[in-house]
Amino acid sequence: MNLDFSSMPQYTQLFINGLIMTIELTIISVAIGAVLGLIVALMKMSSVKILSFIGSAYVEIIRGTPLLVQILIIYNGLPQFGIKFPGFVVGIIALSMNSAGYVAEIIRSGIQAVDPGQMEASRSLGMSHSMAMRYVIIPQAIKNILPALGNEFVVMLKESSIVSVIGFADLTRQAEIVSSVTYRAFEPLMIIAVIYFVMTLVFSRLLSIFERRLRTGDTR
Amino acid sequence: MIRVDNLHKRFGNLEVLKGVSLEVKKGEVLVIIGPSGSGKSTILRCINLLEEPTKGDIYIEGEKINDKKADINMIRQKVGMVFQHFNLFPNMTAIGNITLAPIKVKKMDKKTAEDIAIRLLKKVGLEDKKDAYPVKLSGGQKQRLAIARALAMQPDVMLFDEPTSALDPEMVKEVLNVMKELANEGMTMVVVTHEMGFAKEVADRVIFVDDGVIVEEGSPEELFSNPKSPRTKEFFSKIL
Repeated sequence: MNLDFSSMPQYTQLFINGLIMTIELTIISVAIGAVLGLIVALMKMSSVKILSFIGSAYVEIIRGTPLLVQILIIYNGLPQFGIKFPGFVVGIIALSMNSAGYVAEIIRSGIQAVDPGQMEASRSLGMSHSMAMRYVIIPQAIKNILPALGNEFVVMLKESSIVSVIGFADLTRQAEIVSSVTYRAFEPLMIIAVIYFVMTLVFSRLLSIFERRLRTGDTR
Repeated sequence: MIRVDNLHKRFGNLEVLKGVSLEVKKGEVLVIIGPSGSGKSTILRCINLLEEPTKGDIYIEGEKINDKKADINMIRQKVGMVFQHFNLFPNMTAIGNITLAPIKVKKMDKKTAEDIAIRLLKKVGLEDKKDAYPVKLSGGQKQRLAIARALAMQPDVMLFDEPTSALDPEMVKEVLNVMKELANEGMTMVVVTHEMGFAKEVADRVIFVDDGVIVEEGSPEELFSNPKSPRTKEFFSKIL
C-alpha cells in the first residue's frame, strides 16, 4: 500500500473543471429530458393510437437498452451515415434522450396516480378534458412528479460519468487524465468518488426536505 | 326534462344495462333503488355521459346528448352530479372548490363567484368552513360541500350517486336534510340511494332496478307498501 495524495492538489483546477462540466451536463440533460419526457408522456397517454404507440415504443427502447450503447450509437454509429456531433453535444443528446424515457414514465405515473374521481368531478362540472387537466389533475400530479424528478437528477449526476468514454471532459474523465499524468490510478478515482458521493448526498437531503414540505402542504 | 330510451350499457362481456327507459319531469324527485351491481349507478353515470351508452338514446330538455354533435361540456353544466366519494379537489379550499368551475367554465369574475359560493356555503351550513381544505372536513361536511360545488353551476338537474353510502351513520342525516331542502325548493333530482326512509319521504317516484332492467316503478306509497313484483318483495324483505 502506497497511498500518496501529495501530487493531487496541483490538479485541483482540473477536478473543479470536471465537476462544473458534470453539473452542467446533468442540469441541461435533465431539463431537456423533462421537456422531451413530458411530450413523450402526453403521446403515450394520447387516445390517438399511433402517437401512443410511438410514445410507448420510445420509453421501452430507451429503458430496454444500456445507456453506454445509446451513447456509442450516437458517437460511433451515426458518423457512418455522415451524422457527426462534437463530444459535448453527443453527451447532451444521449443523456437527455435517455432521461426523457425515464421522465416520461415519472410524469405518466404521476398523472395516473391522481384519483380518476377528480377527472369525473371536473367533467361533471362542465370542464373540458384539457381544462380539467390544467386546473385539477396537473396541480395534483406535480406533487407526485417533482420528488421523482429530483431523484432522476441525482441518478443522472452519477450516470453521466459514462460520457467519459467518448472523451467528454466531465469529472470522471478528469480523473483519468490526472491518473495518466501522475501514474497513480487509485488516488484520483478516490477523490472523484468522494465528490460524487458528497454531491448526491447533499442533493438527496435537499430533496427529502423539499418532499417533506410538499407533504405537509397536503394536510394543511 | 330527462328522457332515457332503451338504454344499454356493456362493459366488455358484461351487460350492465339491458334496455332501461325512464323519464324525469321538471321538479320531480326520482329515486332509484336496487341491489349492488344492478346497474343503478350506471344509469346515473350515463345521464351525464361519464359512461357512454352502448345503445339507446338520452335526451335532456329535448336535446339528444349521446350524439357526436352534442356539446357535452355545455350539457354537463346543466346537470350537477354528487358522487359517493365526494371527489372534492384536495388542493383547494372549500370556497376554491366551489368557485373553480364558475370562474373557468362560465368565465364568471372572482368576486361574483365568491359571493355565490358564500351563499351556497350558508345554504349547506358550512359558512364557517370557507377557507378549510377538504381533509379538515368530516364526511358529512365534505358531501355538503360537494353539493354546494355542484349547485354553483346553477344546474337544472342534480344527480346523486349514493351520496350517503360512504358516510358514518351519524352524518347521513345532515346530508339528507340538505337534499330534502333542495327537493322542497323544486330542484329536479335523480337519486341513487339505499336510504329507504329518504325515498319514502322525499321521492315523487321510485324505480326498482335489478339486473340491468327496471323491475318496478311507482309512487313510494305503492312501491313500499304494495310491491307487485316478487323480486321487489324479496328485496324489501331483506332490507326493511
